[in-house]
Amino acid sequence: MNTRGQNILLWLTPVAGLLFLVAYWLFPAFAPPLSPTLSPEEVAAFFKENLTAMRGVVIFGNIIGALLVPLFALIAVQMLRVVNSSPIFAYAYIIAAGIGITAFILADFAWGIALFRPDRDPQLISLLNDMAWFFLVAPVGCVFVQNLCLAGSIYLDARPDPVFPIWVAHFNIVTGLLMLPAAFSLLYKTGPLAWDGSISFTLRFSTFIVYVAVMFLVLLKVTKQQVEQEGVAA
Amino acid sequence: MSTIATAEREPVSQPTEPWYKNKKLDQLLCFWSIPVFYNLFGLVFVPLSWMMPPRAPESDLAGVVEFMQSPNLLIASTILILSVGLSAVGNAMYAIQMKRMSVSPVLRFAFIAGAMTGAIVGCLFPMFCFGLGAFREGYSPEILQMLYDFGYLSFIGCLGCFFLNWSCLALAILLDKNNILPKWLGYYTIWQSVTEIFAATVWIAHTGPFAWNGLLAFWFNMVLYVPWQFIVYYCIFQAIRKQPESELYNSGPTPRAAYA
Amino acid sequence: MTISQVGQAPRTRADYLPGDHGMWFFIVGDLLIFGVYFLCYMVYRGQNLDVFLYSQQFLSQGIGVANTIVLLTSSLFVALATEAVREHKIRDAGRLLSLAIVLGALFPVLKMVEWIPKISAGHTPGENLFFMYYYVMTGLHLLHVLLGLCIMAFMLRNLRQAAQPDIKFIEIGAIYWHMVDVLWLVLLAVFYLMR
Repeated sequence: MNTRGQNILLWLTPVAGLLFLVAYWLFPAFAPPLSPTLSPEEVAAFFKENLTAMRGVVIFGNIIGALLVPLFALIAVQMLRVVNSSPIFAYAYIIAAGIGITAFILADFAWGIALFRPDRDPQLISLLNDMAWFFLVAPVGCVFVQNLCLAGSIYLDARPDPVFPIWVAHFNIVTGLLMLPAAFSLLYKTGPLAWDGSISFTLRFSTFIVYVAVMFLVLLKVTKQQVEQEGVAA
Repeated sequence: MSTIATAEREPVSQPTEPWYKNKKLDQLLCFWSIPVFYNLFGLVFVPLSWMMPPRAPESDLAGVVEFMQSPNLLIASTILILSVGLSAVGNAMYAIQMKRMSVSPVLRFAFIAGAMTGAIVGCLFPMFCFGLGAFREGYSPEILQMLYDFGYLSFIGCLGCFFLNWSCLALAILLDKNNILPKWLGYYTIWQSVTEIFAATVWIAHTGPFAWNGLLAFWFNMVLYVPWQFIVYYCIFQAIRKQPESELYNSGPTPRAAYA
Repeated sequence: MTISQVGQAPRTRADYLPGDHGMWFFIVGDLLIFGVYFLCYMVYRGQNLDVFLYSQQFLSQGIGVANTIVLLTSSLFVALATEAVREHKIRDAGRLLSLAIVLGALFPVLKMVEWIPKISAGHTPGENLFFMYYYVMTGLHLLHVLLGLCIMAFMLRNLRQAAQPDIKFIEIGAIYWHMVDVLWLVLLAVFYLMR
């Protein structure tokens, strides 16, 4: 087996990171994010004023979301090397990751559709905007389950030389818990738990960014060890 | 160690026992999430929000508006969106048993793909629709009606992915020479997958037995589905219990990895 | 089980259960499920007699009868083929089974001949409750027929390729096809004939 394909996919993650920085700099449409308290007319007005910026966010967001798939796939492959009684955590991880990423991309679509015809009835634009935020909230539950599965598989790794170091499991649980409160953003329109609040937005997204960066570095080490231990071609 | 080798070899390791006594702990942890998941769904659907049993497609507009704007619906929607990730764990249980069967891997991979799709279109999206109406006041009754229709239709009328999933499972069980799950369960699963086809009528009928709250399209489907769900998980639990230790990856002197 | 075992185990033909328990479980359950549908149909028919009677006129009894002849003859050939397999006449069995498959394949064709003009004329499932029942139940039956054709194709492959034909599998397939037959007869009576 040759792990070159694996390395290529792994290095797509920094590409996603780079695109994210570019998008953030070029299209600061969501800094700060739209407040949930805006009326439909205000939302429609905001969309019309920031058309280009939001379209940039939508298109880049789509690509960035898709570029994160290789990272999750890689984690799943390394989870398959972990020795539990069965690959059940890896399978659950794959399904949860699939659901989460699809929901994220659908959020992009909802915004994209709202932006496509900004002269639409403001109620419809507001509906699409709300729908997009709902879709953005959904992956949190999936990411939490994913992280639990990864942590579970690491804790139960029966290999004498485990695939992942144990602190990765702790890290996954902590980051999962930090992101979880964002799920309740649907219940609040103001305050830290609202979707533009410090917990549901700032904490959640900065945690996710840190998570991706750290897991990237972890996987670099893990794939290097895989090559050394299993003697596969690099 | 050279990084270029002609063949892979197993990691060199000392024989060890894992630190946990029950070797099947990973499967059991995942299994016991299932009652949690289903009970949560049951409580949220019925007593909390009365989403289920489904309301009539032909409800009057005022009734629809009142239902769609109830705060309990929003709470229900939030809880369900939060817990949809657990469906991944529940579905992985089927895939793991399918892995033990003597059938082609394609069946379990098709199942995994179907599980992903089904969770989005058949579970997550309907929850959004019900929550959206309750999230913000001021949406017109027609929009709320559309969300109401979208919610129920996508939840009850979601056929394709689940038809695929249960057909793969049924086929795997019936063709399996290792008899991981009993053959009669395979036949029952065929009926389960056909109930998904029965649900197609909800996209057409507004009233009567074929509507989304109808005697045949909903209630009779429930009569077939609910026992099946209990039975299949019971059989999976038995299959986990009966799995010989020698088959487990973490038993034996040198642990083996799965890679698929 | 092989043919030689069939000859040994039960003492009389009456003791012997053709097929296997799983298939009989499936048959009984399937008949029960269809039974529930038929029962519901009768109840709703009683409540909406005028709509049902009016809509029934649009069904073509001719094609219904043609389908019946096709299915019954096909079943006959399947039964003869099963007997031939039991008597070790594999080549004859293969021919009879092929005939059964050809006849059975006529059924979906006739169904399309029946349905397509109807749908073009506007008699869709959404038209009224009768037509919904009609399409759902005959559609479900059609699915059974298509599945039966697949099973018979595998039966034929088993006869042609395996060194010893798998008599249990042949019997399972034959029983399934006979069930499809029985269901059709009830459908015929309920939808086409009962006016």
